[in-house]
Amino acid sequence: MSALDLTLRGQAAAIAAGDADPGELLEAALARIEQRNPAVNAIVETFPEHSRAMLAAAPAGPLHGVPVVIKDEWPLPWRAQRFGAAEMFKPTAPGESGPFRALRDAGAVIVGVANMHELGSSSTGNVSVYGPARNPWNTERCPGGSSSGPAAAVAARLVAGAVGADGIGSIRFPAAYCGLTGLKPTFSRSAMAGHHMAAISTTIVSGPLCADAADCRLLASALFAEALAPGDAAGLRIGVVRDTVSEDVAPEVREACEAAIEALRAETGGEVREIELADIEPAALATVLIANTEGLGGVSPERLNQLSPDLGPINRGFLKYRMLLPAAASVQAYRIRTLMRHRLAAAFDEVDVIAWPTVPAVAPPLEAPVVEIPSGMLTADQANVRGAGLANLTGIPSASVPVGLSSDQMPIALQLQAAWGRDELLLDAAEALERANGRRWVDALAPLAQAEATEA
Amino acid sequence: MEESNRADDFVPAGLASLGIEADEVDLAVMGATHQLFWPAIRDLLALDLGEVAPERCPDLSRAPERA
Repeated sequence: MSALDLTLRGQAAAIAAGDADPGELLEAALARIEQRNPAVNAIVETFPEHSRAMLAAAPAGPLHGVPVVIKDEWPLPWRAQRFGAAEMFKPTAPGESGPFRALRDAGAVIVGVANMHELGSSSTGNVSVYGPARNPWNTERCPGGSSSGPAAAVAARLVAGAVGADGIGSIRFPAAYCGLTGLKPTFSRSAMAGHHMAAISTTIVSGPLCADAADCRLLASALFAEALAPGDAAGLRIGVVRDTVSEDVAPEVREACEAAIEALRAETGGEVREIELADIEPAALATVLIANTEGLGGVSPERLNQLSPDLGPINRGFLKYRMLLPAAASVQAYRIRTLMRHRLAAAFDEVDVIAWPTVPAVAPPLEAPVVEIPSGMLTADQANVRGAGLANLTGIPSASVPVGLSSDQMPIALQLQAAWGRDELLLDAAEALERANGRRWVDALAPLAQAEATEA
Repeated sequence: MEESNRADDFVPAGLASLGIEADEVDLAVMGATHQLFWPAIRDLLALDLGEVAPERCPDLSRAPERA
């Protein structure tokens, strides 16, 4: 087995022990990207000389010599971000972003920039100026968005860790669709400097996408600039909400998530409690309104009349439509934010985590990203935002963990949410769930990675 | 009035008032977006949240301060 097939922490440990050569690992990662990436379009640019220079200068940090990728959402010293789009509203330039510095200071080596949904505007990942990334579990399916490339890269085992961003579920959706563990950290806990919305956004955070929770802990520790200590989640109090987020979901998703919740309870010796959490759907809309209006400063009609013709038609239309959103709705959105923050604070007096499916159905086709759930056929974005927006709206951390495969062999995921600053607990709970499942789902390889691993 | 008719009126009128240009594709996307968003926005506006005062400069990394 190539060292590249080890976990992120396994690669770091092998290098630290002298069992793996970081130079060879970097070249192996570049070769694998060249070999596998055409099928998934996860990586939109590599820069071997810059990667080799990073390795040559890498400090003896916890990720020394480990290859990783970063979403096309932050600048690098040698490359401006493109946000998956033909143009952005604000000028971009190369630079040292917060995530870049965090990775560099931990000793990691950035081997590529990962694809993303155009302007970060969808949960599907099916639109990008680079062409869509593809799901390694089925390359005709959506990889999830907007961190489509980071997820596809890890699921195809091009690298073991990737940095994404989550403004309305954009780490958790692709983690769910691609069978990975993804962490949306507590607001402002992870590195964000250099993001074009860093000074404005109250919803976006950077975070890790990896195969499992321990790898997410390692990569998040770099992004947080603090070591996240492991715990055992003993006696975990798991909150469940009987609402659309847990009930208006595809039957096999519901079944897998309910089984996972019971397995987590048993593994931790904890308990499951039903809790009340009203207004989740208005909260999702509030998240969309806030996330889409925070960046409107400086967006003039004149600027909108000069949009690049190469921008996708949905974003062209939506960027203009945003100007018509009523201010009164934004005021209501901020009130909903306050309301839900207080409701969550009260809920977290009663439970340690709240669990519901990350997405209500498995990854839909790239060509037609709609899902069928009990209430009918919905666009994936409509269906997905309901369960993901709350964490961005309120600032709480949230993780998506794989808990099964559908009848058509696509990943199913459970979302865990905890109180502000309890990111570590989410990872503890995710690890407990891995133990309960015998690591069955976190060790499952996507067919694309599996077939080529066998050939190698 | 049909939702689609409302979009037919609202979107072009809103764009025109702001001086934003739109082609047929833009209008089709905005019409679909409007049909998707507007009922939910109306529901949101109808919620009685008068007793909820938004937090002043909330620190989203922490729980809200309790009364």
